[in-house]
Amino acid sequence: MTAPGRRPAVRAPAWPAVVARRLVSAVAVLWAAATTAYIALLLAPGDTVDILVGDGADTPEIRAQIIAEWGLDRPEIVRYLSYLGRLLHGDLGRSYRLQRDVGEILAGQVGPTVRLTLAAAAVGVVLALVLAVATAGRSVWPRRIVSAAELMAVSVPQFVIGILLLFVFSFSLSWFPVSGAQDPQALVLPALALGLPIAGVLGQVLREGLERALEQPFAVTARARGLGERAVVARHALRHALLPAVTLTGWFTGALLGGAVITEALFGRPGLGRVTMEAVTGKDMPVVMAVVIVSAAVYVTISALLDLAYRVIDPRLRSA
Amino acid sequence: MKVIRGALPLVLVAALTACGTQTPAAPAGGTSLTWAVETEPITFNPHQWAQNKARLLVFNQFDALIARGEDGSFVPWLAKSWKVSDDGRTYTFELRDDVVFQDGTKFDAAAVKANLDKLREPGYNPTVASIQLHAFDKAEVLSPTTLRIKLKEPDGLFLDFLASPYAGQVSPKSLREAKDLKAGGPDVVGTGPFILDRYVKGQEVHYTRNPRYNWAPQGSAHQGPAYLSEITYRFLPQAAVRVGALTSGQVQVIEGVAATDIQSIKSNPALSFQSALNSGTAFSYYFNTSHPPFDDKRVRQAFREAVDLDAVLASVYQGTAKRAWSIVADTSPFYDPSLEGTYGGNAAKANALLDAAGWTERDAEGYRVKDGKRLTVRSVASAPYVRDRRDILAQAIQAQVKQTAGIDFQVKIVDQGTAQQAYDNDEYEIFENSRGDSDAGAALNLILPKGGAINRSHYEDAELDGWLAKASKSSDPAERKALYAKVQQKVVADEAIVFPIYVPSDQIAASRNVQGLGFDPVSGTPRGAYDVRIAA
Repeated sequence: MTAPGRRPAVRAPAWPAVVARRLVSAVAVLWAAATTAYIALLLAPGDTVDILVGDGADTPEIRAQIIAEWGLDRPEIVRYLSYLGRLLHGDLGRSYRLQRDVGEILAGQVGPTVRLTLAAAAVGVVLALVLAVATAGRSVWPRRIVSAAELMAVSVPQFVIGILLLFVFSFSLSWFPVSGAQDPQALVLPALALGLPIAGVLGQVLREGLERALEQPFAVTARARGLGERAVVARHALRHALLPAVTLTGWFTGALLGGAVITEALFGRPGLGRVTMEAVTGKDMPVVMAVVIVSAAVYVTISALLDLAYRVIDPRLRSA
Repeated sequence: MKVIRGALPLVLVAALTACGTQTPAAPAGGTSLTWAVETEPITFNPHQWAQNKARLLVFNQFDALIARGEDGSFVPWLAKSWKVSDDGRTYTFELRDDVVFQDGTKFDAAAVKANLDKLREPGYNPTVASIQLHAFDKAEVLSPTTLRIKLKEPDGLFLDFLASPYAGQVSPKSLREAKDLKAGGPDVVGTGPFILDRYVKGQEVHYTRNPRYNWAPQGSAHQGPAYLSEITYRFLPQAAVRVGALTSGQVQVIEGVAATDIQSIKSNPALSFQSALNSGTAFSYYFNTSHPPFDDKRVRQAFREAVDLDAVLASVYQGTAKRAWSIVADTSPFYDPSLEGTYGGNAAKANALLDAAGWTERDAEGYRVKDGKRLTVRSVASAPYVRDRRDILAQAIQAQVKQTAGIDFQVKIVDQGTAQQAYDNDEYEIFENSRGDSDAGAALNLILPKGGAINRSHYEDAELDGWLAKASKSSDPAERKALYAKVQQKVVADEAIVFPIYVPSDQIAASRNVQGLGFDPVSGTPRGAYDVRIAA
């Protein structure tokens, strides 16, 4: 604990410095991600020219044309540096497979993935909060049932959850379309398929946190002051329980992006996940690189937001 | 309180679902329909076309110079007629003069020349330039409706090329100005019955009717504009999801039906089902003859004898797969039916052959061994090409060859790069492949001759190469058939370098009221939407 008198002296110069430090580290992370991905793809089996030639005719003339078209005759280091150079100008390159600007391809796919992941995150967080608050420290049976449901949501493969949801709510009940442009309806099932496993994990973490917090002396004090159990949970215990859950946000960003690959293919939705899968299997370097950089940027942004969130949730950090 | 708490999850699900409760999709009827397809095309430019599964889209938007009739013969399309010189090196085409591209440009001989010249431009499509156009010399515009094409040498496959998606005519304006010409899309236009007006990558492609269309190929079920005013193709890669979308009325047509779903669709009175065998080559295992053990013909024969293929196909595909007996698919006019029943499924013979070849010992796991080495053969397949449950099929064959003959068959399904590397380094014994070329000869030219692009059996035979070259140059169907019969006898019966397994097929399932669906007579893939209509 810092003495109250010293606080302004520490805080005033801290903000610009914090922001600057964040920016520098963000750029470093992006560079490292881009470079690692570049090297990984270089080391991955299969010659780029071979892949571009495919199963068609393979003659020296064809190879020469492909090499010339994509500038594959330059040394690796030159290609790497020119890639970084173009990256600085916001040029993500051209897809080998799709023959279009990567920036354009991704621009059309980011929106649907953002909508899907945000909706899934909302499903996950809201369900987890509601279930944890409703069952934490309460009678045994509801808790057991919910806990078992959470375990199922975590352990059943996402693909199976998706198929089940489709069979029940789309093919049998016809409540929702399997895919389509009518996004609000078409979004419900994919968001549930992607969000349920997250609700499962988050719910368990939250409930444990809540139960631990409810046994703490401050909870006893709050009850002694005459607060009802709900108020104790909402005003006091939840804050404590949120910290480990917020820490999990980093994990579930990854789970969302990874799960999007399966969910998007299953529901016939556009999105980054599908593009990534096709690009990786087809060794479409420029697209894979761009997706890595975009995902790294998402991670960096989220971890910055998390730091802020910690400060809001935990007053002890505000003075640090 | 407890009751309410217990009901919370339900309430939540209900709240989530309530916001979306609506009519699922417009009921079938009217003149628009939605068709769920398995494969999203990599490109919409016909010149860049490379996926048979995307063939059904090409001729919605584009027309070729000539078409093929139900019997496989060439019939007029954008070309009214053509003459071939006696030496087989000059083709003269009379073109229709009433055809307009969707961007308003007039279709004429100069447009055809622009398409052909574009295809030969370095870097545009090197594969087509060096294979399909290997004999092409030049195109000359004699008048707006007369085009002369000169070849360097006779080419029996040239008309097949002019009827293929590659010969889909793209507006010269698009060729000059389209920003992403190779990717195709709304700004790469043709003369076809439908106009591609919206493409949402990963989701769907949407076409509206071309009201001016009045140049359907001879032999079409109707003339004039298409029946449907619009059509949406939705990309649903999962077979079970496509079937569910069809049975729940969210889409009216699907292509690509899994063997496991065929029976339930056939027995559903509201649905229709049809299928057709594909053209080209059968799905086959090619034995790598460059090194042991398949450098020994007896081992190649033994592998085929060790598999009871009818039983394998029945269990994997539930009786819906057609067994192949030749490298050439049954649908081809060159198919040699005399190969049927001549080999396979004889365990005693398999074991005798392997004993004779010196694989006499057995190891602890029951596999045959020779000179301390186990009889192991590896198949490396690239995941994007593994369709039709070919992974399950391989597992069934794996179990059979182990049980009946002690062969250790290892199946690896890997990414494209890893597969490519295994092929380059000759680290495989079995190469699995099928090709959907409309002329089987085109596929054989890639697979069989010395130096062929996918000659992964590494089999070389000067006599065989001679037959193939001669058949490619000839335009006489009878002569070609005789030559290809010799080819099939040699590679299937005499040398056993290939194990033909099944003839790939395509399936269409649809609501009963959708009519005019069918298959391209030559490729066996679903036809475009031109003749499709919705009955009252």
